[in-house]
Amino acid sequence: MSESENLEEALNEQELNTEAAYAEEDNDDEDAEPITAQKVLEILETAWTNEMCAPELLQHQTDMLELMLSQVAHMEEQMKDLDKNDFRFVVHQMELERIRYIMASYLRCRLQKIEAFTQHIINQDATRDATDKRLSPEEAKYAQEFASHVDEYFNKVATQYMPNQQRGEAEQRVVAPNLMSHVFLKANVAVSGVIVGVDDEEVDLAPGSQHIIPYQLVSDLIQKNQAQLI
Amino acid sequence: MSRSNKMFGDKAFDLLKDLKRSAQTIPAFDDDGVRQVLEEVKAIFEENVAQASSYSSSGDRSLWPLLNYRHAALQRNKRCLLAYLYERMQRIKAMRWEFGPIIPSDIKQALCEPEVQFFNNYSKSLAAYMRSIGDGKGIDLTGNLRPPKSLYIEVRCLENYGKFELDDGEIIHLKKNSQHYLPRAQVEPLVRQGVLQHIA
Amino acid sequence: MDPTIVEFIGEKCMISIIPNFSNEPLHLIYGSVGPFRAGFPVFVPLWLAAHLRKQQKCRIVPPEWMEMETLEEIKEEEKRSKFFTKMPSEHYMVVAQLVMSTAPDDVPRCEELRTIIKDIFDIRESKLRTSIDAFIKGEGTYAKLDNLTLLEMHSVRPILPYSLDHIARYQRMATASQRDTSMMNTTGGGTGTGSMSNSFFTQ
Repeated sequence: MSESENLEEALNEQELNTEAAYAEEDNDDEDAEPITAQKVLEILETAWTNEMCAPELLQHQTDMLELMLSQVAHMEEQMKDLDKNDFRFVVHQMELERIRYIMASYLRCRLQKIEAFTQHIINQDATRDATDKRLSPEEAKYAQEFASHVDEYFNKVATQYMPNQQRGEAEQRVVAPNLMSHVFLKANVAVSGVIVGVDDEEVDLAPGSQHIIPYQLVSDLIQKNQAQLI
Repeated sequence: MSRSNKMFGDKAFDLLKDLKRSAQTIPAFDDDGVRQVLEEVKAIFEENVAQASSYSSSGDRSLWPLLNYRHAALQRNKRCLLAYLYERMQRIKAMRWEFGPIIPSDIKQALCEPEVQFFNNYSKSLAAYMRSIGDGKGIDLTGNLRPPKSLYIEVRCLENYGKFELDDGEIIHLKKNSQHYLPRAQVEPLVRQGVLQHIA
Repeated sequence: MDPTIVEFIGEKCMISIIPNFSNEPLHLIYGSVGPFRAGFPVFVPLWLAAHLRKQQKCRIVPPEWMEMETLEEIKEEEKRSKFFTKMPSEHYMVVAQLVMSTAPDDVPRCEELRTIIKDIFDIRESKLRTSIDAFIKGEGTYAKLDNLTLLEMHSVRPILPYSLDHIARYQRMATASQRDTSMMNTTGGGTGTGSMSNSFFTQ
């Protein structure tokens, strides 16, 4: 039993370590508050459901992902020497499976959008400041590579054989998401004066209220975490 | 024009129809079909270029509908052809997620050379991306595809298998029609062999 | 989002169990659970409760609302009300289904409960269908969906947003063609060949 008690202690310590690491990372930020692993997970879960429901690619969460990956790796390390049938081992392992699934599903969902709207996303990110980029550096690299693989394939099989004037239509083939597609929304806080229709009709959203609405009309609320997609 | 009962764009549309109807993972690349569509595009384009110049020099308005008609036919051909390639690309991508970095040889025969190239490029980029996630820690995104239900699964035994020892030394008697709640990783080989059946 | 994800999310709900073993608290990332003391109730996430129950390490204590009298009231209220009433749990269907399938013996009058919960769900679903019908015929693009649970939204998820998107697309096209009826439409709304090929395959 002492072994597993050590494990619990070690896992506990790790939570503190994570807090410290995060506070340090952001120490130029006046408002930096220590963040618990639980909070990181909540942020990731929200990012995951938002990403699944939003038609466009949302802002990346590299910091949160890295924190969570370290946490998971650390736990795995701590659990390595433990009896595989220990009650604690099984429960921690189950939780890690759930967290790994959320992270993998989240990143897969982003990849699907990156592959579907590659050029559009690259173009948009080119106009954004470094801190506002939607793609993580790794995703940006992937998007560039993917775009060139697709171009190469289309060119080798078809576009190089098309008459000259017909080739310069790459712009026309840029696929963009339909931002007016309808989404389910839940307000996290009270938001007043949200335009909900083409005729500038306005409503106030009460905390916890739910709505179906074209995405574009509420995309800023998602960004500011005043509402989330469900 | 040469084929009286055929319309512009028929061949291009056939490409798509055949692809959609095919029950295979991916049908053989229709080399001949693609070539015919490209030839039709070229032919239409050349006819239009020729007549467009006489239209602009003579100002003969009667050519206007014909030019427009041909232009629309050309656009439709391109649209169908690119849709054909795009859908094949989707299926090729899906194979990377399903089969891993090596294309099964029977499927490889159905691909044309640039498609094999695309698969390899895609596979490499994806692998590099997955390795780079989280400051080099990496996540295999091709795993964890479904929400985890449990580390344990409920199974029904389909035959009299006899004794089965778990990692912790516990002995389970697998009798036909008996049901058990067992660690997934340890019994998955038996599920694949058909000794055990996973029940919801 | 597929139904397994809705269930996965619902499995985070906390539920009370009575363990038959003792153990110190577990420091999960989701938050700590325990301590476990044999015979004393403790709250754990549903996924953990289901696992422990299947290993016969605990009894599940059904949530307060999983009881005939309460559910009868909810059902009557749901029938009376024009709007969706507030359910006792945001994931009532997921919780009920998981508890009753893993631990039918822990739930008194399990079969009756199963029926009445299904009744409530059906009343709400038919209400949902009626309001969607009115909503679409009224050419709305926005609606309030208070008290609808995730699973219920999910039950109309592909069809409702897609229909609204399609209607909106037709409206835009109608407006566009009124604007320039004389121009030939060669590119089809400017969404590009790629997305058109997409819709071709998803019909």
